[in-house]
Amino acid sequence: MEPGWVPESVDVDRPSLARIYDYMLGGFHNFAVDRELARAAIAAMPDAAVQAQANRAFLHRAVRFLVDRGVRQFLDLGSGIPTLGNVHEIAQGIEPQSRVVYVDIDPVAVSHSQQILAGNERAITIHADMRQPERIFADEQVRRVLDLDEPFAVLAVAVLHAISDADNPHRSIAAYREAQVAGSYLVVAHGAEGVRDEESKRLLEIAARTTTPLTRRTPEDIARFFDGYELVPPGLVWASLWHPDAPSQVPDRGEDSGNLVGVGRKL
Amino acid sequence: MTAPGDPASERDGAAEFASEWAAQVFGLTLVPMTWREMVDFLHGLTVRLAAMLLAPGLEAAAAAQVGVDLVAAKLIAPEALARTVTVLGGQLLPALGLAGDDTASARLEQIIETLSVAHCRVVRDLAMDEQEIVLRSAMRARREAEDRLRAEQARARHAALHDPLTGLPNRGMFADHLDRVFAGGGTGRAAVCLLDLDNFRPINDSLGPAVGDRLLVELARRLGALAAERGWFLSRVDGQEFAVLLEQTGCPEDAAKVADKVLSAVGEPFHVDGQELTVRASIGIFESPIAVSTGTEALRSARTALHWAQHDGGGRWMLFDRERSAAQVRRYRIGAAMPGALARGEFRLEYQPLVHLATGRIAGHEALARWTDPELGTVPPDTFIPLAEDTGLIVALGKRLLTQACIETADRPHRTRQPPFVSVNLAAQQIRQPGIVADIAAVLDSSGLPPDRLQLEITESVAVDESPHATRSLQALVALGVRLAIDDFGTGHANHAYLHRLPVHGLKLDASFIRALNPPGTGSKVEAILANLISLGHTLGLTVTAEGVESPAQVDLLRTLGCDLGQGWALG
Ligand SMILES: C[S@@+](CC[C@H](N)C(=O)[O-])C[C@H]1O[C@@H](n2cnc3c(N)ncnc32)[C@H](O)[C@@H]1O
Repeated sequence: MEPGWVPESVDVDRPSLARIYDYMLGGFHNFAVDRELARAAIAAMPDAAVQAQANRAFLHRAVRFLVDRGVRQFLDLGSGIPTLGNVHEIAQGIEPQSRVVYVDIDPVAVSHSQQILAGNERAITIHADMRQPERIFADEQVRRVLDLDEPFAVLAVAVLHAISDADNPHRSIAAYREAQVAGSYLVVAHGAEGVRDEESKRLLEIAARTTTPLTRRTPEDIARFFDGYELVPPGLVWASLWHPDAPSQVPDRGEDSGNLVGVGRKL
Repeated sequence: MTAPGDPASERDGAAEFASEWAAQVFGLTLVPMTWREMVDFLHGLTVRLAAMLLAPGLEAAAAAQVGVDLVAAKLIAPEALARTVTVLGGQLLPALGLAGDDTASARLEQIIETLSVAHCRVVRDLAMDEQEIVLRSAMRARREAEDRLRAEQARARHAALHDPLTGLPNRGMFADHLDRVFAGGGTGRAAVCLLDLDNFRPINDSLGPAVGDRLLVELARRLGALAAERGWFLSRVDGQEFAVLLEQTGCPEDAAKVADKVLSAVGEPFHVDGQELTVRASIGIFESPIAVSTGTEALRSARTALHWAQHDGGGRWMLFDRERSAAQVRRYRIGAAMPGALARGEFRLEYQPLVHLATGRIAGHEALARWTDPELGTVPPDTFIPLAEDTGLIVALGKRLLTQACIETADRPHRTRQPPFVSVNLAAQQIRQPGIVADIAAVLDSSGLPPDRLQLEITESVAVDESPHATRSLQALVALGVRLAIDDFGTGHANHAYLHRLPVHGLKLDASFIRALNPPGTGSKVEAILANLISLGHTLGLTVTAEGVESPAQVDLLRTLGCDLGQGWALG
């Protein structure tokens, strides 16, 4: 870590997005404060857990898709609490040489992640804020794991909606793109405006009480993250509709998965 | 549907059932299984379940294991279990061709119950395990955050107290340490050696600041090694200044030995960037009993001594000396007080007669500056005149005294046909003033003093100045009718060629010759020299004056030697 950057102290009395998300996925890495908020969220949006699971399933498919396409390096921004099907498990399961850098702002998620990865030379977790790409690329550990001269995939799955417009997430993503060589990828999943807005509004109000409040964006704003990338088919679609594993997994109402997702290839 | 027990159709049925099961639970697993993997996994379970259905008795452990395996595949959500129960209860027997088989049906109920219990129990264990993990992670994260905070605070503390370039304690830390040592009391002594590089600036300027910085780092390393070995407290107090604090010195010589050691260490050539650099340093030393000094005074005194060392040419150490410092301080205060004193007209003149040795008649007076400051007391001219020369104040002061002397002399009543002249010193810097001749002419004019009643005394160093301006000015002054005398004659230059060039009227023999005459009449060498100087003056047609005449015996001797005028206590 660079000197001069001291992350705020660990506050487990405030609900954390990382742990609530873990709860939604059916995990037990959460505290009473998190579960209370998660239950409130489910009251506001009854299928919130299903949406989280659909998002996670998309992440799994996207990683597999990229490994099949020859991508060997991943920078997973807002990686969350590990245990439930992590990027390195998928990628290294198919291609053991794959390298993964996890980044999260949540100290508990990071600490847990680091325990799990102890001894894995090709996968590390750093505690950082994805709004500071320069810091991440300046990090010595990151530079040891990622070869920036080779293509790598930036995963921003269900994290960009944790960043307000004031913090200009488009500029951050542009900075990641600048660091990538052609043939690299960007993966985005993002809560979209325009469907079930009433329920979404209540959900956002609840999220405002966590350490990382949420925001929603229009499909156009989400599409703009892919400036400089070429979206691979089928383009920007609802999470459950992106390369579904089996016909039985395609829901009647794709928009119920809440997140628009896409995979772009850097031109 | 095929008959029960037909292995081929049973397998088909199991496969179909597995797909149906997978369709129910696939979305609920969080393990990154592909659809295919999930179907295969569930097919394996189905085959095991089929075997259990057909076995003579239920092996409870095998049934429970199915529940455990479901959890291992992260089918842990309540929905996953519920849908599993539903699909098993409703579709397994038909799929296996066992519909309506009461034994199988009863067995299936047992199996479902057993695997559900196992599933719930394992999920509960998992929950508790994960709770423990997340708690531990939180604790670890908190500890790490605290560690980082502490490390950052330590780093900030270190940075606040150390010089970033050399890593040595900085001035603040040194001063603190020094204060502590001198505040400690007791009977011990301590010393500060303050080192500055004499020739750092040119190295830095010519080779660049990067080389300069590396040189400083090298120097810090070298001194650091010495300090570590001998227990000195070393600091980089400023750009190229290093300080060493020595505790428990016995006497100033102890500190001087350290300074010698440091100077010789600095004197070894440095190799920086493939260049050999030789540096020179000066050191100021302050050494004192700790009871009588303070840290601030110690550092300030070491700095004063450092300036002395540098002033004396550098490459040496100098020990602070209170008397020298006090004298310096007094000189400084005098220098600072003079402009005000001049403005307030605090300088006055005292007139010392110049007497014809042959007749005792008064030929003139030398106007001597006097100054008494309300705070500094009486300041002798040999203190304030050189200071005025250093500061340039001599120009204004000289002009003021000249004016005063001319006015006072012009105003003084006299009855003689040949009224006495006034002799005033003219400093080198005054001669160099462009308007000097016009200035003096104006003073004479406004005071009404006839030019031939003014004598200007210049030193030999002024007389030998061959610059056209100085020569022309002196000639012009003489042309005005002013008399010119060489002051302190015989002490400065052996070469008196300037006497040809300048229209000088008189010589004033330096008081040191006269003082050396004691005891008079001993036929000393001094007497011979004086005789020579006097005859030299007479040969050139000059009036010769003896200064500092202090006894009647000297008066007699000078008269015998033919000296024209005398000046001093013995003559009033
Ligand atoms: C909803 S989870 C998504 C986890 C994972 N990417 C997934 O899709 O399965 C969002 C994560 O982003 C993290 N996060 C929020 N803001 C962040 C930021 N500015 N920098 C890094 N991580 C952040 C949260 O701590 C949380 O773990």
